[in-house]
Amino acid sequence: MPTVRVTPRYLGRGSWLARRDPRLLVISLALFVLAVVQVWDLRILALLGLVAYLYYRSARIPFREVRGNWAYVLFFVTFIIVVNTILTGGELRGYTDEQLHVYFRLPLLGTPISAESLTYAAAQYMRFIPMAAMGFPIAFAVAPADIGPAFARLGVPDRFAYALDLTYRFVPSLAADMRTTIDAQRVRGYDWEREGRGPVGKVKRVAPLMVPVTVNAIVGAEDTIDAMDLRAFGTGPRTWLRHLAFDATDRLVLAGFAVLLGIVTVLSQTGHTELWVPELLQRLGS
Amino acid sequence: MTALMYDRENPWEVTTRTIVYAAIGAALYAITAQFQFPLPGTANVFLRPSFALVPFFGFAFGPIVGLFVGLVGNAIADQISGWGLLTSWNWSLANGLAGLIAGLAGYWLAGGIRNRVARSAVAAAIGVVIGFLFVLTDIWLGTAEDIGVAMVDNYIPVVIGNLIVSVILVPILVAAWEPVRESIGR
Amino acid sequence: MAASSAPLVEVDGLTFRYRRAAEPALRDLSLSIGPGEVLLVAGPSGCGKSTLIRALNGLIPHAYRGERTGTVRIDGRDTAEMKLRDISLLVGTVLQDPTRQIVGSTVEAELAFGPENLGLPRGEILERLDAVRTRAGIEQLAGRETAELSSGEQQLVAVAGILMMRPSLYVVDEPLANLDPATAARLLSMLRRLADEGSAVVIVEHRVEEALELEPDRILYLDEGRTRYLGPVAGFLRVADPAAVKLPFGAVLDRIRADPGLSLPAASDPDPPATASADPAGPRRDPARASTPRLAYDGVRVRLDGREVLRGLSTSLGAREVVAVLGPNGSGKTTMFRTAIGLVRPDAGEVSVDGQPAAGRTVAELARVFGYVFQSPSQMLFARTVREELLFGPRNLDLAGEDPDRLASDALHRVSLSAEPEIMERPPLTLSFGQQKRLALAVALALQPRTLILDEPSAGQDHRTAERFMREVAAIPGLDGIYLVTHDVDLALTHADRIILLGGGQIVADGPPSEVAADAERWAACNLRRTSLMAANLARQRPDRRFVEATALARRIVEEENRGGSVVPPGIE
Ligand SMILES: Nc1ncnc2c1ncn2[C@@H]1O[C@H](COP(=O)(O)OP(=O)(O)OP(=O)(O)O)[C@@H](O)[C@H]1O
Ligand SMILES: Nc1ncnc2c1ncn2[C@@H]1O[C@H](COP(=O)(O)OP(=O)(O)OP(=O)(O)O)[C@@H](O)[C@H]1O
Ligand SMILES: [Mg+2]
Ligand SMILES: [Mg+2]
Repeated sequence: MPTVRVTPRYLGRGSWLARRDPRLLVISLALFVLAVVQVWDLRILALLGLVAYLYYRSARIPFREVRGNWAYVLFFVTFIIVVNTILTGGELRGYTDEQLHVYFRLPLLGTPISAESLTYAAAQYMRFIPMAAMGFPIAFAVAPADIGPAFARLGVPDRFAYALDLTYRFVPSLAADMRTTIDAQRVRGYDWEREGRGPVGKVKRVAPLMVPVTVNAIVGAEDTIDAMDLRAFGTGPRTWLRHLAFDATDRLVLAGFAVLLGIVTVLSQTGHTELWVPELLQRLGS
Repeated sequence: MTALMYDRENPWEVTTRTIVYAAIGAALYAITAQFQFPLPGTANVFLRPSFALVPFFGFAFGPIVGLFVGLVGNAIADQISGWGLLTSWNWSLANGLAGLIAGLAGYWLAGGIRNRVARSAVAAAIGVVIGFLFVLTDIWLGTAEDIGVAMVDNYIPVVIGNLIVSVILVPILVAAWEPVRESIGR
Repeated sequence: MAASSAPLVEVDGLTFRYRRAAEPALRDLSLSIGPGEVLLVAGPSGCGKSTLIRALNGLIPHAYRGERTGTVRIDGRDTAEMKLRDISLLVGTVLQDPTRQIVGSTVEAELAFGPENLGLPRGEILERLDAVRTRAGIEQLAGRETAELSSGEQQLVAVAGILMMRPSLYVVDEPLANLDPATAARLLSMLRRLADEGSAVVIVEHRVEEALELEPDRILYLDEGRTRYLGPVAGFLRVADPAAVKLPFGAVLDRIRADPGLSLPAASDPDPPATASADPAGPRRDPARASTPRLAYDGVRVRLDGREVLRGLSTSLGAREVVAVLGPNGSGKTTMFRTAIGLVRPDAGEVSVDGQPAAGRTVAELARVFGYVFQSPSQMLFARTVREELLFGPRNLDLAGEDPDRLASDALHRVSLSAEPEIMERPPLTLSFGQQKRLALAVALALQPRTLILDEPSAGQDHRTAERFMREVAAIPGLDGIYLVTHDVDLALTHADRIILLGGGQIVADGPPSEVAADAERWAACNLRRTSLMAANLARQRPDRRFVEATALARRIVEEENRGGSVVPPGIE
């Protein structure tokens, strides 16, 4: 199991967004996600996309550093869309076959490629990419040590908020352990890319990596548990040293996203967010 | 403070141990989740071997740990890849439920299946089949059109993939961990 | 010292047996520690040192179950009746491995962890933070992420995290294991100052020579859970077993002088050629056969994560040499050998193996030339049984042949593990640390390599075990040479016939031990410790200029004294 670069990278350090209360980043993402999932209309999605773009830019994440992540997002969105629209017969948003403006049908599968399905695919892109963009700042513009306090102050019980903190603490060291184990097994002629015998064989080939890393991590946890017990972890109400407070700007941004969600919800309830197929595309089909 | 959950009366008890194991499991899952490959002969069934960690942690350390490993592990994996912490929050929750239910199933089956290694495979399978029903929420979130599409596109592929890896790897992990558990612990 | 005031800690008749153990780990231990006192606890691996620590900090009986008799009182109160939280206000513990003790992802988060759990007000925590940063001398680490720190820096941060709790008793488990001499000296002086200001300090360390710099008031010497000695340092040096704990050379010499016939396990062979091979087929140190080198570097440069780790390394290592590579943390020692086996490919320059460029060969092919033994054995053990574990490599490379069982048992035999009952069927991860270490060696040997590469062979083992491990490795039949990376100066000097000093990815010195060690300035610049054994060896060179192990050297000196020969050279007392 190769690992991608996993050490937390605080790329947006010092940017406008990084100076916001970290809770704001979580809440605005949640509000934004709730808004986006209600919308299929490309025009509204474009507006939401613009909001997401401005928000993303304010985190000043250097593109060079996150190229790989964006490539993954694009690949995955494309994958979802292809599977959703093509392989499963192109059912979409309640359109029946007769209502479609079909350009042509895919050989073998017979899936209609139509004005509607193209619009649908475009809408999917416009839904997922802004959501991913809104998520980037949480990964790259929140100081790693702020994650725990942020969730604790969002109402997550202290111990679980600390578990989140601890998860981020373990990510780099366990990734390093994983790399060591990969090397140790390669020296023994192990190569996970080597053709396994069928899918079962391929899955089994992961055991030489997964077993030592997992068991070692659990055994090593004994000391971590001791170290925490010895410093009175979980014995009473906890102070979080990191002081979090919403300032005027934070409140304003939060209000902005709340209003956005409100408007979108009203539009959606009144039926104004459904798939909108541009005239031009319809005329090209039959 | 008791060593391990099998000695415990209460599967919901949260100790420092629960917290540390949960964090370790989630971190492990997060850093290894990117490694996946398509099941030959299918278009959308992916095998993600590291998913086995979710039912394993649930089975070995209890439902709370299983829930955390699946939920947080998947969310952070999505964050690391760039997909976004909450973009697929319902899938993260489905992962968590699979871990939670695998943990509970371990209890329920304790009387029925004596062999712990075999029991772990069954518990993991139950966790996957029930837990991932939650991805059907894609229907409301608009990622899937209707129940048919959600079943065919989402639920069935993910369940097949995760069943395969869990049934193979969870017993291997349990068999490796079991004897070690005896030699450490308090 | 204020040791005469009311005791802070009173242990009375303490016996403890872990729930899963057959024998008690501590037996009938009594001692008291006063404010301002420093107690050094020494003893071989498994003698109960960590168990004592757990009894002092309340993990026994609060977190570890077992059978306990006797009492431990802190500040007059029985720990069994106190809450762990209340004990944590009085006793601060630094565990052995800082990478596991640290829970915060930044330095500040780690320091604040204890006070946060106690629910102290934010202002108070910030005040303590300032004070502790200065006191521990880690101001320059402010804001850093703990995962990026070197192991020495991590150790200092771990100690600082305990300082934040302001306990009256500091308990420190083997703090020197990961530290270079400079950092070790800093840590020891910090502990000394705490004691001078009235805190009590209990430090566990089997590297007695180094821990003595702390000027402990008393030493507790444990063996198999029993108190063998409790009292001032001088008396300890007269009774301790030099094979079990590492004593200053002067003390060993005194012991041999007092009792020339002293039978010490490590010296059963009065003068073992340090890396003698039991098998005549595999002798090393054969300069006559210096044809093609086994491993040659030519201007090798390696960049990792944008940092140049090897900077134009050029040297060659012979097939029949025993080479030890020493150098500060991060100087590229491990990377040097990872390039040899193809795990890291050089960015420039060339590595060749037996005269052939390594570039065209896979890791697996190179693994048949070099048996690479990683520092931590458990990082590769995964199989259900020892047999499966041993055959994993040969099967991957189609070397298992007709009789795999024989291959497996041969490998076990070569690392003297075959006597263990039922060993083939045991799950590898249940073996003890020492056994795992040998199994890892056997795993490498199962590929029938010609040269062994050992990364930190002595890590995690006590003096006696590490020495024995090295002697056994040297005696493995059928091996050409051994290359090792280590921080243990004495181990390197006494076992290798060539020393390479690495600094900043370049070779700083290269030659026989006596030559490389002679330049004191260079030695210190590489952040290496000048041990008393080394000084003694340098002062009294043998004709073959090899370094010898402490008891053997002491014996030789005493013999000569008795013959009325040369006087003891100065500077080794
Ligand atoms: N949790 C445990 N359960 C059962 N036995 C244990 C446990 N921890 C330690 N022991 C046993 O108790 C004895 C003393 O162990 P302890 O860890 O105190 O030794 P130590 O002196 O600290 O050794 P080292 O120098 O290797 O750290 C050993 O025989 C060990 O195997
Ligand atoms: N895979 C890697 N990626 C990035 N940097 C690395 C990697 N491996 C090692 N380094 C860095 O390269 C430098 C040299 O590492 P190396 O492990 O060779 O040092 P070393 O001399 O063996 O140190 P130590 O005594 O601590 O074992 C270190 O600064 C280390 O952080
Ligand atoms: Mg110990
Ligand atoms: Mg190294």
